[in-house]
Amino acid sequence: MNAAIVGLTVRQLLGAKRTMLLVLVALIPVVIAAIRRFSGNDVDTDHWTATTLLGQLVVGTLLPLGALIFGTATLGSEFEDGTAVYLLSKPIARWRIVASKLVVAWGATSLLVLVSTVASAAVSLESVGEGAILAGFVIAVVLGALVYCSFFVLLSILTSRALIVGLLYVFIWEGVLTRLFGGLRILSVRKYALGVADQIITAPSTVFEADLGGGRAMFLIVAVTALTFVYAARRLRSWEIGEST
Amino acid sequence: MSAAQAATGDSAPEAPAAAIEVVNVSRWYGNIVAVNDISFSLGPGITGLLGPNGAGKSTLLHMLSGFLAPSAGSVRVLGEPAWQNEALYARVGLVPERESVYPFLSGHDFVLLSARLHKLPDPRAAAAKAIKEVDLEPAQHRAAGGYSKGMKQRLKVAAAIVHEPPVLLLDEPFNGADPRQRLHMMDMLRRMAAEGTTIVFSSHILEEVERLAENVLVVVSGRLAAAGDFRHIRRLMTDRPHTFTLRTSDNRRLAAALVGDPAVFGVELQDGALSVRTSDFAAFTLAVAKVAKDADVSLLELRPTDESLESVFSYLVNR
Repeated sequence: MNAAIVGLTVRQLLGAKRTMLLVLVALIPVVIAAIRRFSGNDVDTDHWTATTLLGQLVVGTLLPLGALIFGTATLGSEFEDGTAVYLLSKPIARWRIVASKLVVAWGATSLLVLVSTVASAAVSLESVGEGAILAGFVIAVVLGALVYCSFFVLLSILTSRALIVGLLYVFIWEGVLTRLFGGLRILSVRKYALGVADQIITAPSTVFEADLGGGRAMFLIVAVTALTFVYAARRLRSWEIGEST
Repeated sequence: MSAAQAATGDSAPEAPAAAIEVVNVSRWYGNIVAVNDISFSLGPGITGLLGPNGAGKSTLLHMLSGFLAPSAGSVRVLGEPAWQNEALYARVGLVPERESVYPFLSGHDFVLLSARLHKLPDPRAAAAKAIKEVDLEPAQHRAAGGYSKGMKQRLKVAAAIVHEPPVLLLDEPFNGADPRQRLHMMDMLRRMAAEGTTIVFSSHILEEVERLAENVLVVVSGRLAAAGDFRHIRRLMTDRPHTFTLRTSDNRRLAAALVGDPAVFGVELQDGALSVRTSDFAAFTLAVAKVAKDADVSLLELRPTDESLESVFSYLVNR
């Protein structure tokens, strides 16, 4: 990792309009939780919070969206505007550049989604300690953000259309195809995150149940993160000017 | 020919130690050949990479700076391969053509970032020195996003020289610079070259290269058209055949009079005008008025037919 690149990337993200937009999007689960809570709906609170609010809305939508925006912006925007040359023309190992960008994207995504997770769970649940639901999703968000960001940073090195490819992955692959074909769950970051949450949550399976076991999910998180990171560093080493622009 | 030796050169002595060595380098994109079997070596001094737009200058410069892999041949800088060699950037400075800079950073912070990325022992002092070198001190605390094109060029140069590299590569560095900034930057580059830096800059403007470079590499259509001492290449350009179009009060009579002039080797009457080919631009322009006067012909119009840089370059390629 390189402190100067981390500092630069943080400033890049803080000044970006898309960060402001994401902060607004992160408020949506909190608003929905508040509406449900105060509308006097009689559904099972724990089940609704774990499965719908945190499982579908936060982990299923906000997490990949935040990771996609931050993950593709950290390096992708530099390729786009031509400033990547200033980093790449320095005596810094490419893996350090990827690691620095990944750390910032991961940190920003985790922070954004965790605030939304904790706030919406606090509004929705009677007790935040209930069945370790919140604890399960906090860990799931942090680990899920790591895999997603690693994947999206790689995408931004591979293609100048990373945002579009990422959106297709999130909404077509994860949103539609993995639901239709169960076997594809091992290629869905969302399923990994939900698997981790399920491993930690102590509430009965009627409250929350994931498609993927916790052990397998953890293994896949480590494997996919390592593979995408190594491949991203290798591709960045072979990056040619004019590519990804 | 102290700094540039090309495989196509004819009287080049061996340079003691080449900072840049390009051997049989080609680069193609699918079926398009951007650089075609180019070889040269460069030592300390200023070398201008001259050629029309799209000639392959940037492709060549990108290969020198390690941002493009050669499809064939080898590019070595300071004895090491340029491609996939991050460590080499500790001794190479690069000024890219695109004017983009981090808009949210001040000029000072931009150069300081460069110094920090180079892990210099005293990045602040190095940044201050580089900023002073490019004469950007008064504007250094303003956001770089608000800089003019010329200021951004100077800022990029400051960031590229902050670690005092022995090799400096600049892609169209004078784009957008006003005449004063241009002169200042030229003085600075001359100073660096005198101190032993190997400087290569690309330009499509002959006058820029003429004023700065002792050595020149002329690239046309991906090929090395000429290389070596600038004065030698300039002479080749000046001595090439020129064509003039003349409109006169009596084209036929002037044609007959010009045929006997030693500087003229072809005269043609076409569409009410006279087309004259000469091997000596200066001698012909001096002689034509006298010949016309002696023949009692009024000159209505005299203009060189094709003096574009492209035509000069294409002459060099085809000579």
